[in-house]
Amino acid sequence: MNEQKLKKLFEAAWSETATTPSVDFAAGVLRAVRREKQTPLRETLSAFDQLNLLFPKLACAAAAMIVLGLAADFALTVAGVPNLSDGVSQISAQWLLMPGGL
Amino acid sequence: MSDDAELLERIRNGATDDFAEIVRRHQSRVFAILHRYERDAQKVEDLAQETFVKVWRALGQFDGRAPFEHWISKITVRTALDHLRKEKRRQNEIGLPELGEDALDWLRSDNEKSELDGRAAAEILELAMRELSPTDRVVITMQEIEGRSVKEISAAIGSSGVAVRVRVLRARAKLKSALEKLVKL
Repeated sequence: MNEQKLKKLFEAAWSETATTPSVDFAAGVLRAVRREKQTPLRETLSAFDQLNLLFPKLACAAAAMIVLGLAADFALTVAGVPNLSDGVSQISAQWLLMPGGL
Repeated sequence: MSDDAELLERIRNGATDDFAEIVRRHQSRVFAILHRYERDAQKVEDLAQETFVKVWRALGQFDGRAPFEHWISKITVRTALDHLRKEKRRQNEIGLPELGEDALDWLRSDNEKSELDGRAAAEILELAMRELSPTDRVVITMQEIEGRSVKEISAAIGSSGVAVRVRVLRARAKLKSALEKLVKL
């Protein structure tokens, strides 16, 4: 196919009339936009925004875990079960810091 | 009648209904662009709706530095490009469509001045452009059929001017070869 024929093809394609929108096209778009507005906020938010929204719950969960840990430690101490810090002190005193130790 | 900037300001302040006016003002342009890449009227309408919903979502990003119609055109071309990519995968699974008699006669004619109507030209190009990648198709359509500048094309497809020029040359060569194959069918 030569250049002249190709040019003619492009020109003819340019002259083709486009599809016309239906009468209620704009109304249809508006309905779609309204549906868009009604979608849950969470779907349109970034991961960072979602993390921000979850912050109060995450903070409460973290505080509950700390309280639970302290309570368990206190209960074990009262019950006479040696805790981790006792164990570490014992190892330090008995072995690590002895003249023959590390 | 207020201009686009005033309308956009009202929409940003919550007047959602005014977006219908934006749609009415720009729908012809959007349909004209999409029609170059999709010939099914219903699909064009669906794509146009998708385009305007994207425009709605991105309204906050429009800074007014470029004319609003250029910005909408860019979103429309990107929607068309996404559509072509999806269609390309689908087209690989189905056969090629038949060309109409007018299109076949013109293709086989040696007379360079023989008449060709827009519909037949679009049929021929639709078929030949299936050999091109979606981006090549967009580039060649914008440059050769719509007469857009390299700057406009590079903004629409997100490539440099040099890359667009190179792509146009290659796409044109591929298109010519695809058309020659059609002549021999």
